[in-house]
Order: sequence, then structure tokens, then C-alpha cells
Amino acid sequence: MTATTTSPTTTPVRATMRGSDLRFLLLTAIGLAVFPFALHLIGGYAGLATQIVIVSVATIGLNVLLGYAGMLSYGQAMFFGGGGYIAAILLIHTMPNHPNLWLAVLGATLATTVLALLVGAVSVRLYGIYFALLTLAFAQMVFFIVEQGKDLTGGDDGLQSFPVALLALGPWNLDLTTALPALALGPFGNLGDIKLWYVFAAVVLLAVLWFVRALTRSQFGEVLDAIRENEERSVFVGFNAAAYRLAAFAISGALTGLSGSLKALYDGTVAVDSLTIERSGSFVIYAVVGGVQTLFGPVVGTAIIMYLENVLSGVISFWQLIEGLIFVLAIVFLPNGIVGTILKRRRGARALVDAVRVP
Amino acid sequence: MDAILQTRGLGKSFGHFAANADIDFAVQPGELRAVIGPNGAGKTTFFNLIAGTIGATSGSIAFQGRDVTRTSGTHRVHLGIAKAFQTANIYPSQSVRQNCRLAALAHVQGAFALQVVRRSNRLGRVDELAEQAMSRVDLGAQADVRAGDLSHGDKKRLDIAIALATEPQILLLDEPVAGMSKDEARKTEGLVKRLASEMTVLIIEHDMELIMGISDSITVLHGGRVLASGTPAEIRASAAVQEAYLGGHTAQEILE
Amino acid sequence: MEALSQALLNGLVRGLIYVAIAVGLTIVFGTLRLVNFAHGAFYAIGAYVGLVVAQKLGLVPAFIVAPLAVALFAVALDRLVLRRFYDKEPTAQLLLTFGIALVVEETLRLIFGGTTQQYPMPSWLASASTTIGPIAYPTYQLLFAAGVVVMVLLVWVFFQRTDYGLIVRAGVRDRIMVQLLGGNIRQASTIVFAIGAGLAGLVGAAASPIYSLDPETGFNFLVPSFVVVVVGGLGSFWGAVLGGILIGELQAVTTLLYPPAADVVIYVCMALILVLRPQGLLGESEVIRPT
Repeated sequence: MTATTTSPTTTPVRATMRGSDLRFLLLTAIGLAVFPFALHLIGGYAGLATQIVIVSVATIGLNVLLGYAGMLSYGQAMFFGGGGYIAAILLIHTMPNHPNLWLAVLGATLATTVLALLVGAVSVRLYGIYFALLTLAFAQMVFFIVEQGKDLTGGDDGLQSFPVALLALGPWNLDLTTALPALALGPFGNLGDIKLWYVFAAVVLLAVLWFVRALTRSQFGEVLDAIRENEERSVFVGFNAAAYRLAAFAISGALTGLSGSLKALYDGTVAVDSLTIERSGSFVIYAVVGGVQTLFGPVVGTAIIMYLENVLSGVISFWQLIEGLIFVLAIVFLPNGIVGTILKRRRGARALVDAVRVP
Repeated sequence: MDAILQTRGLGKSFGHFAANADIDFAVQPGELRAVIGPNGAGKTTFFNLIAGTIGATSGSIAFQGRDVTRTSGTHRVHLGIAKAFQTANIYPSQSVRQNCRLAALAHVQGAFALQVVRRSNRLGRVDELAEQAMSRVDLGAQADVRAGDLSHGDKKRLDIAIALATEPQILLLDEPVAGMSKDEARKTEGLVKRLASEMTVLIIEHDMELIMGISDSITVLHGGRVLASGTPAEIRASAAVQEAYLGGHTAQEILE
Repeated sequence: MEALSQALLNGLVRGLIYVAIAVGLTIVFGTLRLVNFAHGAFYAIGAYVGLVVAQKLGLVPAFIVAPLAVALFAVALDRLVLRRFYDKEPTAQLLLTFGIALVVEETLRLIFGGTTQQYPMPSWLASASTTIGPIAYPTYQLLFAAGVVVMVLLVWVFFQRTDYGLIVRAGVRDRIMVQLLGGNIRQASTIVFAIGAGLAGLVGAAASPIYSLDPETGFNFLVPSFVVVVVGGLGSFWGAVLGGILIGELQAVTTLLYPPAADVVIYVCMALILVLRPQGLLGESEVIRPT
């Protein structure tokens, strides 16, 4: 991947909105606005749209690690489930009377970032399968701790019915379970099917996409990409590869924890199934099918697989087999994932491509 | 004058095999020092020890008076020791310019910078250093070419440019003309001479003509140890060196 | 004391299963440089094929058919899919083989259902027990343990004595040189892969009378086997043996002392090894760098 090369400038580049940035924001916002209705058309329901959007954030988190830093982690569930549990615990124990969504989510994200820094500190010096296995091991340890800490975590039963968190926005305290005003839209469903949760989650996803897009073009992203392409060379021009990998791991953990906390708050419950190897594996599947090293790949992959899970599981019993087959087919025939393959085929319109994908 | 780089009793063993042993070495600032020796003499190991690619098992290395024996390779680059690899080590999918920019970026920002939003093109110095490095090795015309598509010789010069972009005090060149055509080799020879006038250069090479022509001084390694050290004339005349290289025949006999 | 001896024997039996799977894993890695997350699938396939044959024809035919079927499957898989991934990064291999393992598990679930299966065993064998010191231990398990030991030794002899084994061992050191010297490393590698898979399949069939069988079994034994391989040293035959026994015993003793930790204790062990001595107990101390 070539980084965007620019001719030497002496004037500093200001953070003004450029054409491509505006295009990106607009297209993504429109896409997110339309998504739940398009989903309804093909048999999905509004709640599914919200879940897809929330879980996508975690897949994006994994992709930062796998696609951009080149590190395969099989332990992302420790951040996802960890984020969920911390959010729930914060609500139950620290603010039972004034449940504040921002604080719960912020606290969870901070906690998972710290966890990622701790785990990363010992893990990032390993590579390939060793790194994957070590992250898996740590995730299993987190699983064990959560399962054993019954007083705080509810053990195998998990935590349910924690206070409904309100979103403090200026003078208002919003209950995100409020629905939008009803408006029939024919085959696309009804506007009133959509709760504020979707709007909130969509805004979060938009912000995350914006951030990751900036990240990949940033100084940090440039170096990370160089390290992924040729670590030896990068070390011997003076980059501290381990520090970069640790930072990538921390960012990944933060995003995954953010997603996990939102999921727990949305579901109203959190249980140990958010900490399993299967959960960790699911993010890998979503990212690979959608396309690692692309910005929207993780979202597309999450959407496709979660949709299939949802629709197929009612119809056939072996939908997990289908999921596995899609995954294997993607790896063998579409190594760039769905989005990646589409983008490769459309090398022509570079400007448009630049707006939505990683250089 | 104090040596810019000095090793005392430097050694590296892999298990029982001593690749380098007991090397005392000193080079003055601005010198062009060639390190030569038959295959397996330990030359690349020696360079790797200096650059920090591998760690010494005995002895010490001092750079500009400070002990760097345990300093990481990354940090040594920031101190001013830069290395160009034996097999050109570049970023094949990036442009020539970006290859140099990355090295310059490391030099300007340091080993780590958490700039997760701002771009590197706001750092004018990075582009400056990259341009300078490219023009010094005469790759300016190919600045936008994908590095992986370069010819072998150009890749090696790019490798040197990358090292130059870090503004080194001492440059280690491991067989810079290996595998090059005569023309490319001559160009590179000129480049090395120019560089030697600006900084200290250590060079490993097998091309005797080149070595004898441009070096200020030569160190000969044999079996992991220093066999001889001196001016080109002294080395040429040394019986011990001839013995090691040519197995007893005189240079005359071989070069006939 | 009784309980401890019981636990130690249980650990030995379980550990030997790990050894059998890990040996296959590690020699495949050593020769093909392939990280095979699907190796547990071989165990599972062997177990289910064995089940079907055992139900129709009895145990002994099952123990013959299962490894053969698995070896065939493994070779087919290699030819069709895995071969393309030999030169790819380990990450890609991991992902692919993980996907294959998933597909196999789900296919088995589709065919055989998700419920636990019981292996048909002649009742005299099922109830036979041998007295060792203070305890009476099921004879079948002892026979099984002995069988695994014999199989593993046979594999070892294969590597040390035969031409194929020689090519494979040389290939671990220097693949290119072996090819230059005319060694048919392709063929040798396929045979090695088949042996590794067949061993896992055989153990799958043979161990299922001891442990219950369901579609997750493959995965349940796979992850610990990876732990074993890491602990023993990726690529090291005796490392797999040592690691297998160690992990098996560790699990058994933990089950005795503090059952909830039986799963996590092996992960703690692996984490310690990865952090302190990533090449494993008997692995070569080569730097674990990116290629």
C-alpha cells in the first residue's frame, strides 16, 4: 500500500475539511441512515441493525490490529466482555441512582485500554501464532476470573437488570429506548421501529470510522504500516516497533471495550458468553469476510455474518456451518475480503476510492 | 583525536562457534575504513555488532566516547550509527520518496510518537531530508517509482539513501557494489567517495580495486579476528594478509 | 493417596492423548512450516468414523479404519487447499485452518447431532479393571496408554530409521538443500502429514470410549494440544511428549485440588512459557522474529 505522497510543502496542512473528508462523512452518514430500512427490506429488524452497528466497532478494533498492524489476536473477547462487565458493574455499584451512560461507557473503555496496555506489554514482542496464542491465553484467564468473581460479576449467570442508563445531552437526559415518531415507509418498515439507541450507536460508529480513517493516514498510521511491511528496516531507521505495536493493541482494546460496553447497555444484560473463544473468533471472521485493511470491510463483514446468523438460524439448524464455509471461502478465494475485492476491481476512480478507503 | 567508534575485545559466539573474537578496532572521524577478509571471516557479524542487530557476547563498543554495547539498534540509529544492508532492505510497495521519508521521519520524530491524527506532511524537515537523501544517491528522478520495481543497483542505492536520511555520523555499508554492473559500481564508488568526505564510513567489500582505490585505511578480518590493520599500501604488502587470502601465492601470481 | 494416584493416572492417559495430537502438530510444523489449527479436526473425524465403524463392526475394525480415513482426508485437504498456503504468512495459515476446523466441527454436528455419543464397547472390556498398587484402574485405559506409547515410539523410529524420516529431518534444517540434493521432500512431507493426521485420528477413535464424544471434542483437545506444542517447543518431537505429559498431569492434579481452575491452569502455563521462554522447554532458542 503506498502512502499518500505529497510534494514538499512549507505551509502546515490545516485541519480544514477537504472534499474527500466531506464526501466520506456524507456517504457514511447516509449509509447509516438508510441501513435499518434496507435491512428491514431483507428480513432484518431494527434491533439487529443496532446490534450490527455496535458490534462493528469491535470488529474495527480487531482490524486495527490485524489489518494495519499485522497482528492476529485471538483474545479480543477479553476486551469486549470486559468492557461490558465493567460498564454494568459501574452502573450497579457506583451510580445506581443516577445511571449515566457516558460515565459507564467511558469507564469501561478506560479500563479495557489499561488491560490492553498490561497484556500488550508482555505480548507484543511475540509474533504470529505465539502472539495469537498468548492473547487467547489471557482471554481465557479473564474468563476464569470473571466466572469466579461471582459477587461482582454474577459468575455463570452474568449480570442482568442493571439500571437503565440515561444519556446526558445538554439539558436533556435521554432514555435511549425511546422510539422515533412512527411513520410508515412501506416495505422499508416504520420509522417508529427505530429507537434512539440506533441513532446513538450510528453516531458512535461514524465517529469511530472517522477516527480510524484519520489514524491510518496519520503519522502514527504511516509508521505502523511501515513496520508491518518491513519491521527490520523500520527498527533500523530508528522506529521503536514494540512501542507502536503496543499502542496499536491499546487502541484496538479501547475500541473493542467501547463496543462491548455499548452492547451490554443495549442488551441490558452481560454474560460470560461475551468472553469466550468463540466470541474472539467471531470478530476475526467478520473482519476477514468483510476485508481486512479496508475501512468499511469490518462493518460489511459484521453486517453480512450477523444478518445471516439472524435470518438463517430461524430457518436452518446448520447456519454455523454456512458461516464457517463463508469464512473459509473468503480466505481462499477472496483474501482481500468482500470490500477489498470490490475496491481492487475499481482502481479507476482513485479520488472516490481515497474518500472511503485506506491509502 | 579521539576515535569516533572503538571496540575493545569485541566478540560474538553462537554456541561454540565464535564468529567474532577479541576485536580491537578504532576509527577516526571522517575516515573511510574498509573491512575485508575471506568469506566467513566474520565481517558482516562485526557490522551487525556495531549496528546493534545482534548483541555482543564479550567486549565493548564505544561510540563518540559513550558505551553502546547494550544499547538497542533502534537507539543507535538515533545516536548516529546508520547501516545499509547487504541485501537491499527497503519498503518494496512504497515509492522511493516514501522510503526516504520514513527514515527521515524516524529521525525527526524520534523512536515513537503518538500522533494518531496529524499527518507527517506537516513536518517540512522530513521532506527536506528525504529530498536531500534521494539527490545524493542520484535517485531524485525516480522519486515516485515503486521501490520494488527498481533495478538491483538502484535498490542498493536506495538502501543507502534511507540510511542517509537519518543524518548519521557514521555509515556502515555492507557490500554496496555487490551484484552491480561495472557502470553502476563506478557510480556507487563515486557516491561512497563523496559520502566519505562528509562523514565516517565503514565499508565491507570484496572488490579489491575499489577498496584499494578509495579507502583511507583497511582492517583485515580472518577467522573472526583482526589479522592486520593499516593503510592500503601496508595491507597490500603484508605477507600475513596474502597468506590468508591467497593461500601463499603472491598477489602477482593470482592477478596474472 | 488413592485419589492422587487416580488423578496421576488420569493425567497420564489424558496427557498421552495430547502427546499423540501434539506430535502430529509439531512434526507438521517442523516439516511443512504449516501451523495447523485444523489438527483437532483430525481427532474428531477419527472419533466419529470410529464410532460408525464400531457400531457396525466392532472396536478393532474401528481402530483400523479411523486412522486410514483421516489420513486420506488429510491428504485430500492438503492437496486441495492447504498446499496453496505453505508459503503464506503464519497468520493466513492460522486463519484458514481455524476456518477448516470450524467447518469440520459444524459438519460433524450436522451429521451426528450435537448430543454426546457413547462408544459401543464390549461389556467385558468396559468393566475390566486392573489393580495398580492401592487402586483399581480401568484396564482399557491402561491398554490405551500403552498403545499410544507404542504408536509414538513407532513414529519416532520412522523418523530415525527410514529414508523418508531422514529426508523430513533434513528438510526441517534446510528445505532448499534437501530439494537440491534430490530428496523428494514433497512426497515425504505428504507422508508426514498423513502420519500426523492418522495418529490423531487413531487416538480420536481409541480415546472416545474413555471420554464422551461430541462435536466440540476436536476443539476441546486441539487448544490444549497447541498449549502442549508451545510448552514443549514448536517443532520438537520430545518436546511434544514432555509437554503432553506435563499438561495432562497438571490438569489432572488441578482437577483434584481445585476443579474450576482445571481449564485455565494450562493457559497460565502457556502464558508463562511464552513470556519467559517462548521457544518452549525443548525448542531451539532461535529468535522468534517475523520472517
